[in-house]
Amino acid sequence: MSSSGEHPPRPSGRAGVIPRSSEATTAGAVALVARRRVAQPNGWWGMALFVASEATLFGTLIATYFYLDFNAPRWPPAGIKAPSVVLPLIATAVLVSTTVPMFLSVRAARAGYAGLAARFVGAALLVQCIYLAGQILLFRHDLNDFRPDQSAYASIYFTTLAAHHAHVLLGILLNGWVAARIGIGGLTTYRLTAVRCVALYWYVVNALAVLVVLTQLSPSL
Amino acid sequence: MATLITPSAERHVELLEQVWAERQGVLGWLTTTDHKRIGILYFFTSLAFFAAGGVEALLIRTQLVGPNGHVLSPAAFDEMFTMHGITMIFLFVIPMTTGAFGNYLIPLMIGARDMAFPRMNAVSYWIFLGSGIFMYIGLVTGHAPNSGWFDYVPLASKQFDPGNNIDFYGYGLIFNGISSTAAAINFIVTIFKLRAPGMSLNRMPLFCYAFLAVSFSLVFALPALSMACVFLELDRQLGFHFYDVSNGGDPLLWQNLFWIFGHPEVYIIILPAFGIATSIIPTFVRRKMVAFPLVALAEIMVAFLGFGVWVHHMFAVGLATITTIYFAAASLIIVIPSAIQLFAWIATILTGTPIFKTPLLFIIGFILFFMIGGLSGVTVAAIPFDQQVEDSYYIVAHFHFVIFGAAVFPILGGMYYWFPKVTGRMYHEGVGKVSFYLTFTGTLVTFFPMHILGILGMPRRVYTYPAHMGWTFLNLLESIGSYVLASGLILIVVNLAVSLFRGPLAGNDPFEGDTLEWSTTSPPPPYNYPLIPTVSSPYAMWDKEDRELDNRRLARGEGLLARGHETPASTVQDAEWDEILHMPPHSAWPPVVGLTLTGMFLMLLLHHYEIAAGFLVAGGLALLAWHNKEYAG
Amino acid sequence: MATVLLSGCGKQSILSFKSPQTHQITLLWWWMLAAASIVFLGAVVMLTVAWFRRGTRGLPFLGERETLTEGLVVLFGMGIPVVALVALFGVANLYVIKNSEAPDPRTTALTVVVTGRQWWWEVSYPGTRAVTANEIHIPVRTRVDVIALTADVIHSFWVPQLARKIDMVPGRRNRILLYASRPGIYRGQCAEFCGLQHANMALEVVAEPASAFRSWLSRMAAPAASTASASTGKSLFMSLQCASCHQIRGTAAQATVGPDLTHLMSRRTLAGNTIPNTPADLAAWIHNPQAIKPGALMPDLGLSSTQVSELVSYLETLR
Repeated sequence: MSSSGEHPPRPSGRAGVIPRSSEATTAGAVALVARRRVAQPNGWWGMALFVASEATLFGTLIATYFYLDFNAPRWPPAGIKAPSVVLPLIATAVLVSTTVPMFLSVRAARAGYAGLAARFVGAALLVQCIYLAGQILLFRHDLNDFRPDQSAYASIYFTTLAAHHAHVLLGILLNGWVAARIGIGGLTTYRLTAVRCVALYWYVVNALAVLVVLTQLSPSL
Repeated sequence: MATLITPSAERHVELLEQVWAERQGVLGWLTTTDHKRIGILYFFTSLAFFAAGGVEALLIRTQLVGPNGHVLSPAAFDEMFTMHGITMIFLFVIPMTTGAFGNYLIPLMIGARDMAFPRMNAVSYWIFLGSGIFMYIGLVTGHAPNSGWFDYVPLASKQFDPGNNIDFYGYGLIFNGISSTAAAINFIVTIFKLRAPGMSLNRMPLFCYAFLAVSFSLVFALPALSMACVFLELDRQLGFHFYDVSNGGDPLLWQNLFWIFGHPEVYIIILPAFGIATSIIPTFVRRKMVAFPLVALAEIMVAFLGFGVWVHHMFAVGLATITTIYFAAASLIIVIPSAIQLFAWIATILTGTPIFKTPLLFIIGFILFFMIGGLSGVTVAAIPFDQQVEDSYYIVAHFHFVIFGAAVFPILGGMYYWFPKVTGRMYHEGVGKVSFYLTFTGTLVTFFPMHILGILGMPRRVYTYPAHMGWTFLNLLESIGSYVLASGLILIVVNLAVSLFRGPLAGNDPFEGDTLEWSTTSPPPPYNYPLIPTVSSPYAMWDKEDRELDNRRLARGEGLLARGHETPASTVQDAEWDEILHMPPHSAWPPVVGLTLTGMFLMLLLHHYEIAAGFLVAGGLALLAWHNKEYAG
Repeated sequence: MATVLLSGCGKQSILSFKSPQTHQITLLWWWMLAAASIVFLGAVVMLTVAWFRRGTRGLPFLGERETLTEGLVVLFGMGIPVVALVALFGVANLYVIKNSEAPDPRTTALTVVVTGRQWWWEVSYPGTRAVTANEIHIPVRTRVDVIALTADVIHSFWVPQLARKIDMVPGRRNRILLYASRPGIYRGQCAEFCGLQHANMALEVVAEPASAFRSWLSRMAAPAASTASASTGKSLFMSLQCASCHQIRGTAAQATVGPDLTHLMSRRTLAGNTIPNTPADLAAWIHNPQAIKPGALMPDLGLSSTQVSELVSYLETLR
């Protein structure tokens, strides 16, 4: 327990010491900072705004999908099968399930359990890699049936999927980095914020995955 | 009153000076994460682009001085008006207001020592610089974008614009958007979390409200533009069909996506100007802003409502009447918050005791021009009238009054106002007044006749016009006006440049300003404030007891936060002190990331996709190295 | 203002309206201008008063009363604008707009199809074989349905004296009402940036008595009268690249890339209303179109002056 903080100049309704968060480099100190802090850390706000921006990007993609859909006499156009429903929904469920280990990793990190937090992230990472590998195979399979340079439907279909997969890939890289940093180097306040941020990223990406799959499957639903 | 550094305070301050000592020389500027240095970098870079955009404008006006001009070929003319629009909006106004003014002033106004993410702040600048150079490479190589700043398809498609002109636009705007998004996120988190403990949201200066509104707008508007450009480049490079009719696409998709960004963009342009105006007015009329809460609310409402009006740029496209009527109604509603602000400013000037120094003169000019631009904007919310004057010089008049008159005049006034704070020297007031009258007259003579030309039927974006149309005299007048305007602007730059070296020392607070930046030295030290200031109202400098309290605290060495680059973080609403953050002193990674991104976009443009991927990976590795050094959090 | 009034009789001015639709729009404009001037003048007066009273705090006559000042801000910033804007909305967007909407086809007596092309206007009359370019004839005081199409990029059809503008968007079949109250020749111009020669894409609408219109229309529908004269020019036309772009109905030239030339001499202007239709101008155009309209899709064919004058002699027969 370090007393490397300051006493607030006026009564602030909270007794005690204001933490110098970057001086918390042991798991216990980090857990203490996490308990004392009232507001969300800056990094969390930054990630929240970043995912708001990315969500708006996907909003634009989804809006474009339905704009082109409403404009078209036939959707999908003649020659393209309506998408199959079962496999994409199962895959999405698999991805969404990784929300659980991400959530648990945050709980573990806040309580000061670095190794456990890293393992939860690792578990999520494994499932997400399997998901992405499967999705890439499906993507290539679709490309054999119809190509984005043939119709507006194909253009928006493949672009939306590619955008989603790119975000999953970014999340996988973030997970790898966070798991390594915490698993090997231990917890600091910075890395606690990092795992919270990456978890937030995944919550939003997973929610968007549901919206994306429902959009893409809308002709068949 | 400014914070006094008494002898007993001096040794505390010395400690801070040591901790916050800045790297000197070119390396220091390259690796800086100090918001003030970054603000200065943004200032000079956007000023250079302002000059470039100005030259483009003068070339246009010279070509149009008479009928059948031969100054610019049709192809060159098309590149000039396109680059003029792109430069002024993306490379001048936004970077100048958010990057220069915002970066320099926001931490100072909220009593903080830096932005929430200093390294991201730096990378925003380097990305801006990279994107500006990227787009200008197009101009320099004779392949500048050439189908207007809003770049309608199919004219901008591969079929009708086969060279890589449009690719400089498409990739360039995606590139530029990364900078603005990062900057916006930085501002929001800074304003939310880094305010001095005690500066609850209702004690925050109006300047900060304007920047909060701008930043949220940027975060939610830019994705539409980025996706529009992604679709454009996919169509152009890979043969996708988002915008082409023959395969299920729609050119109006571009228009909708563009204007969903484009309309909030114009409020993004003007909101910081509102913020500057609401800083200058109280200082020079020596009274607090009338109806402060209403003005703050109005600033936020403008940003919010701005997302619901975009189709008013498309009234002539042939949409269903009911659609146009809805968007016209929304466009009229948005007049109200602007009108409230306008009358609040006028009421403050009327009920105060104004000193008509140069900064206030520019704000008076701003008020008058904002009224003209706003009123012409109201007239085009009348759909049938818009369907006559859309795409004519009437619209050119409207947007130049609101962009130049209403966004740039506060920038010019703000340059004068904060010049003493940033440089420590005072500008020449007499020359300042002359520069105002020249600029004001030039603006009026250049842009007012354009209303008339539009009514007389002159379309916009024409490289010439016939002699017998009755447009010749007004065009001549406008061109003369543009030279007068240019001379006024040059005089401003000369005044400030000469005053930089020869102006008298200004002291901390030459104007008896109302906000916190006037309490520290001119220029501020790297750590901004020797101690985190006490705040009880949005007019911190006019709260004498608080400033005296700070003097006593400093003498006791209280609240220094000198164990490294430290600044407090507080809760969002009530600004209760929450933690102490440790800021980076400098970092080499931001310019590296800027460089790798520039390389990536250049390679995309040249169709070297593997090398582009390589640059992306390099950028990712630089980001990893960046996050190896853990700060703030 | 003097300039406005003096040149109000300009060639493309919305102030010299010649149809009920544009009359209403311009009337609306004058009212809006009056209201805007009053508001602006009001602000100027307030700021002038501020200057004169710069040593005194508080409102003129009313003194330093903060709540009253705030109330005035709300009155001027919200109360009065709401009333004015609602009135404007009602008049402009519920009433005047009815005249500028696309007409019900059952209420129109004639249909004209105008297709925007880089950088000229193709004009045809459905139900007839009439095809021409850059010059539209309509009977005066007749409701005409204009169908606005494009063959390439977005253009905009704008004849300010007669009607509001309408964009020509690929994939859309936009329509507006064209109605001329008086006979005359009305200039229009493309109002959506469409490339290099957007500035020189103009047209004329000729409103004439119904009988004159009918004879014009039947003339436009007829093929070119075959003549024995100017046969050199005609064979040059067919053998050089002219026929690969231009149609002359009644001959072997059937391409529709460029304007239909069957009745070229019936038109007052050439090259999208850029130059007058005189033999000298026509010769200059054929000799080097790029000098007159750089970027136009008609190439410089490198013709000798003899070839040019032969061609002109032939084209002069296409009445």
